[in-house]
Amino acid sequence: MTERVWEVFRQEDEGDPMVHAGNVNAPDEELAVHYAREFYGRRGESHRLWVVPRDAVTELDDPDLLKPPFDRSHKRPGGYIIKHKLERAKERARGDAT
Amino acid sequence: MNDADTIQPLGGPQRYAAGDADAFFAHVGSGGKVEADDWMPDEYRAAVLKFVEMHANSELMGVLPERDWIMRAPNLRRKLALTSKIQDEVGHAQLLYRVAEDLGKPRTEMLADLLAGKTKFHNVFHYPTKSWADVGIIAWLVDAAAIVSQQALRDSSYAPYARTMKKICWEESVHIMHGRDVVLTLMNGTTSQRAMVQEALDRWWGPLMQMHGPPTDPAKDKDLHWKIKSKNNEQLRQEFLSIYVPRILELGLSIPDPELRHDPDEGRWHYTEPDWAGLKSVVTGHGPASEERLEFRRVNFAETQWVRDALLGSATAAA
Repeated sequence: MTERVWEVFRQEDEGDPMVHAGNVNAPDEELAVHYAREFYGRRGESHRLWVVPRDAVTELDDPDLLKPPFDRSHKRPGGYIIKHKLERAKERARGDAT
Repeated sequence: MNDADTIQPLGGPQRYAAGDADAFFAHVGSGGKVEADDWMPDEYRAAVLKFVEMHANSELMGVLPERDWIMRAPNLRRKLALTSKIQDEVGHAQLLYRVAEDLGKPRTEMLADLLAGKTKFHNVFHYPTKSWADVGIIAWLVDAAAIVSQQALRDSSYAPYARTMKKICWEESVHIMHGRDVVLTLMNGTTSQRAMVQEALDRWWGPLMQMHGPPTDPAKDKDLHWKIKSKNNEQLRQEFLSIYVPRILELGLSIPDPELRHDPDEGRWHYTEPDWAGLKSVVTGHGPASEERLEFRRVNFAETQWVRDALLGSATAAA
């Protein structure tokens, strides 16, 4: 009898994101759900669990795609340093600029 | 012109190619993490497996001294708390065997090795318990000594282990409170109850001081080098003493070590050198309760075989 690995995701409270909790080893879905409940929900610490066969997870960890070696700061709010530009624009609007 | 208006090349995190052991060790040495499916050198895999398997064994064997007290717990709330702690500890064993399984050793093999005495478990679980105060001292101080090491393992380079430690530490903190509550209740009781706690502390102090293991040469400690663990044995023992000696003394208990003192100049505790030869003998299966505990596990494993057969068998039939 072969057992399978099932990944367990946990939602702590209604509306929270599903967060990876860990995994269990079980021969079928029914037992996987029982084990997941025992390990990740027996204290009332979970609002919802997702139990997913590990082989159903498709992974992408290619750094060329996820961490490409180019500046991506234009995609993030922190990539825009506007403090001095804003000051100058305000000065100009006030008519201080020469 | 502002730098933010130009395109900058980024350094990016240090990566390693499969098969490149030097780059791998540079990665973990600089604080990098490893996932179960990542390539890793065999010696790293073997070291993590050995570490996690010993931890799992300890959780599984550690419930046996406490199990003896379920039927003797002084009231229903204590009985529920103790049963719940035992369930937690067995759960920790299951979580840790799961981590170890992903490193390539099947659970059945790990259990077989444990039952055959081929693999080890922590020294403190090789001793008998003699009174209800032992249950309090174990839950308070043995779990406290364990949590000091486990908290340091939350930074382990092997990420699935580190994540499991976060969950385990959270549960252990409940056990410490339960143990401290048991001890406090006894200390606020009768003279003979206080004497019972002192006797228990006297019994457990030696094993507690041995628990983190002898000081090792950090330069030669591969587990440290590869950041499988982040603190050495002596650091853990010093940390345990700093937190718990004051908490023990404030209750009016005395610690059975005339050499124990804190040197503020050196910033460290001095203590009578623990019996390291005795520790080695105990963890290799020659402790006062080693054989009895292993025999209990063997009988229990044989008696519960039908449950595993039924669960796995019915799943086969349904599939």
